[in-house]
Amino acid sequence: MISDKILKSIKNIPAFPAAAMKVMALIDDPNYSITDVADVVKYDQAITANILRICNSAYFGLRHKIVTINDAVMRLGQQNIVRAVQAAGVSTFYRKAKGYGLEANKLWEHSVGVALMTQILSKRIFKREDARLYTTALLHDIGKIIMGEFVDESFPQIHDLVSREGISFLDAEEKIIGINHADLGGRIASQWNFPKAMTDAIIYHHRPDLMQDEDNSGAWLVYLADQACIMMGIGLGSDGLAYKGLSEVIIKFKLRQKDFEECIMLMLEDLDRAREVIGMV
Amino acid sequence: MSEIIVGISDFKVSNNINDILITYALGSCVGVTIYDPVVKVGGLLHFMLPESSLDMRKAGENPAMFADTGIPFLFKTCYELGAKKKRMIVKVAGGASILDDANFFRIGQKNVTAMKKLFWKNNVLIEGEDTGSNCNRTFSIHISTGQAFVRTAHNGTRELV
Repeated sequence: MISDKILKSIKNIPAFPAAAMKVMALIDDPNYSITDVADVVKYDQAITANILRICNSAYFGLRHKIVTINDAVMRLGQQNIVRAVQAAGVSTFYRKAKGYGLEANKLWEHSVGVALMTQILSKRIFKREDARLYTTALLHDIGKIIMGEFVDESFPQIHDLVSREGISFLDAEEKIIGINHADLGGRIASQWNFPKAMTDAIIYHHRPDLMQDEDNSGAWLVYLADQACIMMGIGLGSDGLAYKGLSEVIIKFKLRQKDFEECIMLMLEDLDRAREVIGMV
Repeated sequence: MSEIIVGISDFKVSNNINDILITYALGSCVGVTIYDPVVKVGGLLHFMLPESSLDMRKAGENPAMFADTGIPFLFKTCYELGAKKKRMIVKVAGGASILDDANFFRIGQKNVTAMKKLFWKNNVLIEGEDTGSNCNRTFSIHISTGQAFVRTAHNGTRELV
């Protein structure tokens, strides 16, 4: 069974960067301070270097070059610094991502697009940004970094199943390979000891309707943001658009077509400004 | 041969026979190629949404974003290089949809419909079409010959005729 081989390769995935993990725990406390974030991050050289790069990028549009992590924290503010830490931490896993017929950094570009879209949707629907959701969205397709080569090997069979039986690419992955990329991502998240809400959002990012926890709106936002990026072709791979459309998402968030299209336009603008973040991979 | 990449909400035109205009990863977005074989002028548009009424300001800044502003803009830019409407060969690809498409998500179909309505109103014939379904398409045009090609993961590269 191929899936045994896949499960073994999960074990070789490095631990989630401790600094990024600590920041995730920090932001759960509503009273966390921005200096706490700086204190955690400054001991991780790779993340610090990446944060400085992001801070000095056009995305944040700062006039003066930032050289220390404390400056970065002061200038960027709470939300942006958390985003930058998480992007720097997560990007390392996408560096060698192959498969789904994609070039190296395309899966990362897709992940950044989905993460930005979750924040745009969250602002429109709940009037707030959500740093944890941002991280979850960056990781929603993490299963693909392992699935990639197996999907490429079995692509003719998977595609045949999708086109003959009209099933989703996700279901076809499971039938042919023995596991789908969302479940696999969930296993990676569990291995990293992520909180259940995050792990669930990764597992159910194509099928939030199957999730038992009905209060996990994050999973639905990741789903909707993912569909938007898939439709716009952002980091779109050989799986194409062969995923299930769930109309209940419209009712759940009381969104109109116009809202959705406007959010898409905003996301493409944000993505354009996030070229340095995408360039990290 | 040099490849000129057309991004999302973007278009390029050329009269250089060494150019290939190419756009990657058309999902629900639609690609339109036009070509005048007499003067060897061609263009490729990658539009994203059907109607500019969504945001007139953005449509003004970047007409290529919408079908109803992008397509006229593509034609006009080719006229400036000497192309004539009556000689234009038009081919289209993209407009894919996700499965069991709910009304909300029907951006692919709406894009295709908006484009066809526009061509129909202006008496322009579509001579090659590969739209719909759920696949990811790469679309290109060779300026030397006007040949347009669609690449998908399952079919490889095929000429659109």
